[in-house]
Amino acid sequence: MMRLRSIARLGRFATVVTLAMLAFAGCAKKEEAAPPPVAEAPKVVPFRVVSMDLGKQLDASMRVVQSSALFGVRDTIHLAIASEGSSPSVTLRAVWKFEDGQTVGDDAQGLAPTGPAQTEFHILNKLPWPKGKYNVELFADTTSAGRKEFIVQ
Amino acid sequence: MNSEDPKKADFSNVESGGSSTAPHAPTPPAESPPTEMAYTVSAGDSLSVIAKKVYGDANKWRLIFEANTDQIKDPDLIHPGQILKIPAA
Repeated sequence: MMRLRSIARLGRFATVVTLAMLAFAGCAKKEEAAPPPVAEAPKVVPFRVVSMDLGKQLDASMRVVQSSALFGVRDTIHLAIASEGSSPSVTLRAVWKFEDGQTVGDDAQGLAPTGPAQTEFHILNKLPWPKGKYNVELFADTTSAGRKEFIVQ
Repeated sequence: MNSEDPKKADFSNVESGGSSTAPHAPTPPAESPPTEMAYTVSAGDSLSVIAKKVYGDANKWRLIFEANTDQIKDPDLIHPGQILKIPAA
């Protein structure tokens, strides 16, 4: 009799142990099934010039108030550049030239943009501008990023 | 005789500039002289002072001393007006 009770107890114990193991295995499986979320690496947008505009005045955000390719002899000439993307170091250089090939102005800015940005270059003359055709070429490092022509009349 | 072309447009009074909303790129630190250069000793200079000026590191005074053993016998004794060779670091 005692022996039968022991066997029954053992059987119950084995059942409990088996159920516990199954439950544990189930939990472990669940953990495996749900991998930790992988954080997406931020997309790095390389620096690029989006637009170039000439004008006589800039607003507070460094955009030309009114785009123009015609200027008067007393005007200050602004080149507004919209860019996007990032770079640890990029040099923007504006080279202004007169129709005879003379360099009127040449300026550069070393920038470390981290996103959309506005950059401006300008030239002004204490004397009246010689009338004629001019152009300004923008370089990003050594690569031409665009060229604008304008007339002083 | 004026050699300038009187018809050539004059841009000598032009001023130019610029600015940006983007942060400026960090300027690289001052580099050590790439090749040998000359340095004229001023009053108050010592080899370590000169090394600090040209290399940014006073401990490099020995480089200057070793490049100038023809004219410096005692590293603590240099004279204003003396022209020292400054080797590349």
